[in-house]
Amino acid sequence: MAAIELDGVTKRFGDDSGVLDSLRSSTEADVVTAVRDLSFTVEEGEVFGFLGPNGAGKSTTINMLLDFVRPTSGTVRVLGHDAQEDSVAVRRRTGVLPEGYDVYDRLTGREHVEFAIESKESDDDPDELLSRVGLSQEDADRRAGGYSKGMSQRLALAMALAGSPDLLILDEPSSGLDPAGAREMREIVRSEADRGATVFFSSHVLGQVEAVCDRVGILREGELIAEDSLDSLRDKLESESVLRLEVDGDADLEAVRAVSGVSSVDHDGDKLVVACEPDAKTNVIEAVESSGATVADFETDSASLEDIFLAYTEDDREEVPA
Amino acid sequence: MTLESVARKDFRDALRSRWLMGLTVFFALLIGGSTVLFYGVLLKGAGANSESLFGLTTAPGGLFSFSYAGMLGFVLALIALVTAHGSLIDERESGSLKLLLSLPNSRRDVVFGKLIGRTLVVVASMLVGFVIALFAMLFTGAQVAFVSFAGQVALSGLLATAFVSIGIWLSASSNTPRQALFGTIGLYFIFAVLWSTVATGIPRLFNWAAGKVPGIDPMAAEQIVLTRLFIKYLNPLRAYETLIAQLYGSAAAARLFKAGLQESLVLQPILKESIPVYLSGPFILVVLLAWIAIPPILGYRSFQKSDL
Repeated sequence: MAAIELDGVTKRFGDDSGVLDSLRSSTEADVVTAVRDLSFTVEEGEVFGFLGPNGAGKSTTINMLLDFVRPTSGTVRVLGHDAQEDSVAVRRRTGVLPEGYDVYDRLTGREHVEFAIESKESDDDPDELLSRVGLSQEDADRRAGGYSKGMSQRLALAMALAGSPDLLILDEPSSGLDPAGAREMREIVRSEADRGATVFFSSHVLGQVEAVCDRVGILREGELIAEDSLDSLRDKLESESVLRLEVDGDADLEAVRAVSGVSSVDHDGDKLVVACEPDAKTNVIEAVESSGATVADFETDSASLEDIFLAYTEDDREEVPA
Repeated sequence: MTLESVARKDFRDALRSRWLMGLTVFFALLIGGSTVLFYGVLLKGAGANSESLFGLTTAPGGLFSFSYAGMLGFVLALIALVTAHGSLIDERESGSLKLLLSLPNSRRDVVFGKLIGRTLVVVASMLVGFVIALFAMLFTGAQVAFVSFAGQVALSGLLATAFVSIGIWLSASSNTPRQALFGTIGLYFIFAVLWSTVATGIPRLFNWAAGKVPGIDPMAAEQIVLTRLFIKYLNPLRAYETLIAQLYGSAAAARLFKAGLQESLVLQPILKESIPVYLSGPFILVVLLAWIAIPPILGYRSFQKSDL
């Protein structure tokens, strides 16, 4: 059974106006589509990295998994339950590290964890959970209002781990953590996955995801633009070379694009950047030359995963219009 | 039972914030202190009884429309609103609500858990005041009408709960803390100040409309007064006051408590004969209970629908 299933999910903000809002004149500009026709599945036991730049719709998607926000259309199912109708059943088996949360300033760290354990009707030992996320006894006895961002993040993770959930949903878990903290976070994710839990976590930093994820989905402007295992994304990369050509004269870009094995042709300043299969390189150079331009110099890159992430998620305004 | 754990957590939070302690001191001084002052200094010795202060028959001078219960009602309502109006919206604003709802708590548990938690805060601190008052009367030798006094304490608890409910409603259906605050101020103003204008205005408006539309008869003077009284007691503050008056006197007298001279003249004969159901004690008690039950349901429904 799938742990998470989204089918044709769209979320628009601002068009479900209440009584007060309808008194104001609302314009099209007030309506923001955060997520558009999103469909993907996360299998049980998988570690799924949900990637994308800030504002891509990652948190909106996660908020729909938790019923903080309701989809405008489409269905969301988590652990076999409808995310909206049976949200409590979902959250009974899910540990959550939400985004944009705040701790209860006046309750101690231990009281937070005790509250989580109580709500999940589990018999975990709060101190064990706290030490697992790296909070000391002294920290646990302090009121959480005095915690740093990183400590709050650790506390929220401890609350998420309470009751050994079947699914962990972590929204930007590394934010506020120093590199060592981020590494501990990854270790916890890995050990939870080893226990058999499904882990779904979002990040705008590829490095956080790379080391632990079985599969990633890349979200941009509310749409899923790639969904694959890291290995096959890497294969795709390795099967592609990037050719940077210094060209004198005007090359016929359409002709270059028409060469078989070429996937994209971009301008980078006065250079031409061509992504293609390795054995298409000579054909590309030939195509440029036969269109009347001369290739003054060229170099080939083998792109890293970081490049692909950036290529997927960065604004592609430099792309030559087709 | 997550409703219970939400309520317990909320109560503990109030305990930590010293809000509970502050309120307890406040009510100890207000209810306890005024009782000590009244029975210890103003009305010493024989003949003193609990009705002297808490009852409504001996309002000072009789001319002013002042009653101890009425004053207490205003204060309790205000305190309850202040305690409850931020309960949900503040957590929504800060983000701690996300932590709360990441756990298997339903939105219903959150709304009603908060209702219970905040009610306990107001009622517990209020009770301390009443207990001090009781001891003050016993020590000064005043006679205590226990049944009336207990009824008054219970009604005060119900009034406080009603206004916590109203505060929860506002908190649950607001989108910003400012909205909740202004809503609270506005509603308090309506209940405490504007209500009598509304009660007078509605029958007047009806008669004005009846004059314009053929076929509808305007209300007779008697009907106007009865309607006005009915609307008056839909206000939880007024319902509370008249129910307390009934603890110390007849229902008819309680309904006419603080009524104008003209109003009394019209109504006295009617009420003496028989009290209409909608002005009876049980009905007005139901009104007060409805103010406890309905606002949180409305608040929950709007909270349930909203994106957080």
